[in-house]
Amino acid sequence: MVPLRVRSCFSLLRGTASPGSLCGRAAGFGYTRLALTDLENLYGLWSFLAACERHRIRPIIGTEIETGAADRLVLLVRNEVGYRNLCNIISRRKRKDKLDVSAETASLYEGLVLLSRSETMLRTSRACGLEAAADLGSRPTENGNRLRHLAATLGIPAVAVPDSDLGAPGEHRAQLLLRAIGAGETLDSGGQVRDQGQPLESPEVYASRFSIWPETLQATEEIADRCTYRRPAAGLQMPPWQQHGCQSAGVVLRQEAYEGARERYGFTLPDQVVERLDYELGVIESMGFSSYFLVVRDIVQPLQPDGTRKRRRICGRGSGAASLVAYCLSITNVCPIRYNLYFERFLNPGRSDPPDIDIDFAWDERDQVLAEVLGLFGERAAMVCNHVCFKPRGAIRETAKAYGLPGYEISRMTKRLPWFFKRSDLSLQEQIATLPSLKDQDFSGPWAEIIDRASELIGLPRYLSVHPGGVVITEGPVHDYVPVEQAPKGVPIIQWEKDGTEESGLVKIDLLGNRSLGVIRDAIGNLRKNGADFSEQGWTPEDDLQTKAAVGAGKTMGCFYIESPAMRLLQQKAGSGDFEQLVIQSSIIRPAANEFVREYVRRLHGGGWDPLHPALEAVLDETFGLMVYQEDVSKVAVALAGFSHSEADGLRKVLSKKDREFRLRDYRDKFYRGCRKNNIESAEIDRIWAMMMSFDGYSFCKPHSASYARVSFQSAYLKTHFPAEFMAAVISNQGGYYSTFSYVSEAKRMGLIIDPPDVRTSELSWRGQGTRIRVGLQTLHGLSQETCERILGCRKERHFRSFSDFLQQVQPAEHEIRVLVDSGAVDGLDTKANRSRLYWEAAAREVGASAAGGAGLFPVVEFDAPPLRDQSPIERLRREYQALGFLCRAHPVSLIGKGKVHTCKGVDLAAHVGRTVDFIGLLLTGKIVSTKTGEAMEFLTFEDETAIIETTFFPEVYRRYAHILSAQKVYRLRGLVEQDFGALTLTVEKIRLLSN
Amino acid sequence: MMNHRRFILHLNVADFAVAVERVVDLGLRDKPVIVAPLQAARAAVYDMSEEAYRDGVRKGMLLTRATRICRAARVLPPRFDLYRKAMASFVDEARGYSPVLEHGAEDGHLYLDITGTHRLFGTPPDVGWRLHRQIRCKLEIDPIWSLAGSKLVSKIGSRLVKPVGEYIVADGEEQRFLAPLPLHLLPGLSNGERQRLSQFNIVRIGELAALSRMQLEGVFGRRGETLFELSRGIDENAVRPEEERPPRVVREHIFSDDCADRTVLKGVVGALAAQLGMELRATRMQARRVGLQLDYTDGTTVSRQASVRKGVADDDSLLRLAMTALERSLTRRTRVRSCRLIGDRLHGRSPQLKLFTDPATGRKKEQLLTAMDRIRQRFGREAIRMGSQPVLH
Repeated sequence: MVPLRVRSCFSLLRGTASPGSLCGRAAGFGYTRLALTDLENLYGLWSFLAACERHRIRPIIGTEIETGAADRLVLLVRNEVGYRNLCNIISRRKRKDKLDVSAETASLYEGLVLLSRSETMLRTSRACGLEAAADLGSRPTENGNRLRHLAATLGIPAVAVPDSDLGAPGEHRAQLLLRAIGAGETLDSGGQVRDQGQPLESPEVYASRFSIWPETLQATEEIADRCTYRRPAAGLQMPPWQQHGCQSAGVVLRQEAYEGARERYGFTLPDQVVERLDYELGVIESMGFSSYFLVVRDIVQPLQPDGTRKRRRICGRGSGAASLVAYCLSITNVCPIRYNLYFERFLNPGRSDPPDIDIDFAWDERDQVLAEVLGLFGERAAMVCNHVCFKPRGAIRETAKAYGLPGYEISRMTKRLPWFFKRSDLSLQEQIATLPSLKDQDFSGPWAEIIDRASELIGLPRYLSVHPGGVVITEGPVHDYVPVEQAPKGVPIIQWEKDGTEESGLVKIDLLGNRSLGVIRDAIGNLRKNGADFSEQGWTPEDDLQTKAAVGAGKTMGCFYIESPAMRLLQQKAGSGDFEQLVIQSSIIRPAANEFVREYVRRLHGGGWDPLHPALEAVLDETFGLMVYQEDVSKVAVALAGFSHSEADGLRKVLSKKDREFRLRDYRDKFYRGCRKNNIESAEIDRIWAMMMSFDGYSFCKPHSASYARVSFQSAYLKTHFPAEFMAAVISNQGGYYSTFSYVSEAKRMGLIIDPPDVRTSELSWRGQGTRIRVGLQTLHGLSQETCERILGCRKERHFRSFSDFLQQVQPAEHEIRVLVDSGAVDGLDTKANRSRLYWEAAAREVGASAAGGAGLFPVVEFDAPPLRDQSPIERLRREYQALGFLCRAHPVSLIGKGKVHTCKGVDLAAHVGRTVDFIGLLLTGKIVSTKTGEAMEFLTFEDETAIIETTFFPEVYRRYAHILSAQKVYRLRGLVEQDFGALTLTVEKIRLLSN
Repeated sequence: MMNHRRFILHLNVADFAVAVERVVDLGLRDKPVIVAPLQAARAAVYDMSEEAYRDGVRKGMLLTRATRICRAARVLPPRFDLYRKAMASFVDEARGYSPVLEHGAEDGHLYLDITGTHRLFGTPPDVGWRLHRQIRCKLEIDPIWSLAGSKLVSKIGSRLVKPVGEYIVADGEEQRFLAPLPLHLLPGLSNGERQRLSQFNIVRIGELAALSRMQLEGVFGRRGETLFELSRGIDENAVRPEEERPPRVVREHIFSDDCADRTVLKGVVGALAAQLGMELRATRMQARRVGLQLDYTDGTTVSRQASVRKGVADDDSLLRLAMTALERSLTRRTRVRSCRLIGDRLHGRSPQLKLFTDPATGRKKEQLLTAMDRIRQRFGREAIRMGSQPVLH
């Protein structure tokens, strides 16, 4: 007996078992072959194949598709043609095509075995010469008997087929919950009896059930015998390059690379450049990647109708930035020669996997780039997907909804759930019960049950989303290689995640969005609009002394990768503002690397150190003997354990994979063996291995780090020399590490004046000039894009004569009027800027217009408002804060903290090092970390009107106060002012909420 | 038209359930009290005392949250029968002074129109004092009372002095009385209107009254007229006695633990329909419409109805109507706190038998219902029920 219909958790919101656990169960029962037939998808194919290999099971690839209201058809792949057809069928089903089996569609089912319960379908399949079998279900029934007789008449087999959704009988509870979530209903006790999924049973169970029809079990073996196709193996699928003229890709690449090099380095190329270019071009050509480089170049700088190439602001990321060829083609932005970036990290003849060129575009241009690629390649391009799984917060939220709890109660609980759940020794319930931030949470009633049941969902896939930028381009239509479906945002996506994509040999190009590129573009655009002459040709911000000083002082809020509190503190401690150090710092600052960061700072300031091992002395010299970059892991493996370069690269890659545990085992054994051979002591090996394991996907490779450091430096340069233009661009592009509120405060601290929005002068985005920044209309909460455009459009025609004239022309909705008045954007249209009066005028116009039967027809009339008192100053501020999310001319702390004596302002803290002070500040952001002993603590950033302050809440204090901490609220803190390598921090002892 | 001076007395027992409990247990006086079911894990606050209110406890709030906010509070289970009886006694005391009386259900509010009763009971203020004293002596509760020329002004008077006291607004004094009061004391304004007035920076009733009818109509449209009158204390609404309202039969169930399970909900609505049927049959009435009001835990209320052309009183038909109403009102994925089944459009039952129904089955069913009704009358409401229906407390 071979189970021919088994669904995994990739039958979304229906199945409960991972392909891995299903294979484990099947192997335990003694099955040697297993079919995975998820509902109209191959999402789980690669984890299924990996699990089959682990459990020595021969996989059968298949799916189950819906053919009618209640009818389903199982399709099993026999051969390569069948696999291609299966991908096509699933892709068409995802487009809601009806796929009846008929003479016309018969070719689509070639190479497949069809298992059906429909008499008509069985007859048609037989008539069309397709391989079909009658699906008798998981137990003998009357209907099954009828089908069995029909099969005998048609001369086709009838088979016993499990109908399994679960990994174990106990999982039906999770399934009921999943179904309630899927259907958007509450859990219903009546439903439990109605609809119970089945687990995969042992062969003995099926043998006993089907003892009256034993031949139906034998028939499954025969069908499985015919399904010999084991895995898709199309080889490396490079994106095709559209050849222009008769020159080969290699020749064209050489020409273009040299042309680009001359643009970068001047007409006479230095020997070093020529040597390196020749070497790289040789390797690229010998490995057959020339056309790949050209395709990427065509995407980044597409050819325009006039024959020129479109220039885009980009930042090459990943190891591709180590290639001089890429730099010369303008698909990366740092000179690999100047910054010692090794090409071998990117490409070397020993590597069998595809090279990886990832490009960042300005966040708001990225979609255009993607649209161009998808438009250009049509069916041959699609994006990679993400399998979004239930995480603790989402699982609890969805379960609570299925329990019918109201939204506010759910939010109260889930918004205080931090993101980290690393202690696998505790159940979800125990972890939550010990969370300090939930100390005052009420867990009575159904909550215990909700958390318990939610824990069963964690890790199960829930839906597909679009990968942030991964695109695959294939020789033929993508749906010949992998099923393709449409993502809700309208782009085609393949059914595999990036790991599966890589495994299948499809080459992925990452085209990602980057906010900071938009910031730099807008700041420079704003500068030029202001009449400044700014050229990017030969711009080397990393050599600018003022910029270096600002970076070294940590004044980098808003500057791309170096703006986070941890990064700013590190800048202050390092104190140099040096580009080379920034490259190291961008990679070393990662979760779980605190002790390395501290050690790095000590060594940077001249602290003595011994290499990890004498053999590593030369290898890690550049980084003070510390492992900083991803490739350092490979370097150490080569130097200490005798790994080959490609093995070591394999180890590096596995570290960033989701399912690394299993695959890591072999590498670990090999590493330990290799080290022992080199007479390294066990304790030493453990230490080095642990250090390598801390690279869990967050660190960068050096080329990537350098590429990012360059963008960071560009930002820092603009911030130092053109603060108003830069901060305006930071706020306009949104989405930085901090809120708009924080950036506004930073701008004010820099001495800039924030001018409130004004419908007469504000642009859509923020604008800076000199020492002033004008708030952009985009920031007014709830003002629609269309209304903004109407304001700008009408203004172009002529000035607004009065508020009434403004309303007449722009026709804003009622809630928009509210935000326009409250933010002060229409103050300029009333002689006395009386907002009560403005409101009256708007209301009168609205009532008048509805009485006249339509807004547009109503003529402009000046309204006679009664004498109304204007709002009080404090009420105006309250409303301004609501409309904008910040105050243009005041700071909440200065209002709330008024009259509070014996407190120290942020700017004065430096004078109190070593002393305990009281400080009133507004909480901006925080980062929870875990101590060595697994306790939670938090680094929080506060600010007052004078400075931004980094604070530390050690575990005991954190436990005491976590539940009252909430962003944008004002607190009174008491703590010890400390200084470490020049960086100031406040170690908090007490905290009290002052206001909401 | 001659302006006829009316005298409307408004009586309000603040936090009625707590007030009644305090009568029963003197030890509860001056202490924070919360009334809520005790056995349920997700019980909601039914009523609370002024002290608990000041600490932030509100009606409908989860009890677990309420007791965290107000740790000193004594929590008592609600005793609806007791409150019903107390309300009836409260109403009875007032009825002695005028038949024109309007009251809510167990909420401690009543209006009494005592216009023209001075020959019998003395001046209106005297009636107020006397009734207040009488209620205090007999029932040991201390209602707020307020006397004015309209329901509106008397209610504002009560709101002003809450939680204890009395207020008398003399004839012609209405505007002067209202002018300095904050707007939130004025009943009858929608949230949108309150929001708009705050945008105009109008915070007192007098500021609203300073606006002309035309000005108000200019910014509030047709509602301007109402606002104009409200701000001047003009309210011509009469006190409407119970008998003048259309008859209806109401049955309600409050879940001690709010409920999300449709199967349970169906059972409860079924049981309410059976109770409705019994009452209709007892009074020989039939209903042409059954309405269901679901109060969700988050405070939202959804009401839906199902109706038939000819009145019904048998359990099967009522159940069908109730289930249709339930299907229509279960629009949200949130727990239900209480459900209220209302039978209305009532008419007397025709003695004539139906012409085209199977007389044998029809009669058998009727006999069964009659027998069940008899058992219930004798041994209590829950003595006999359909298997699918839960026991309702």
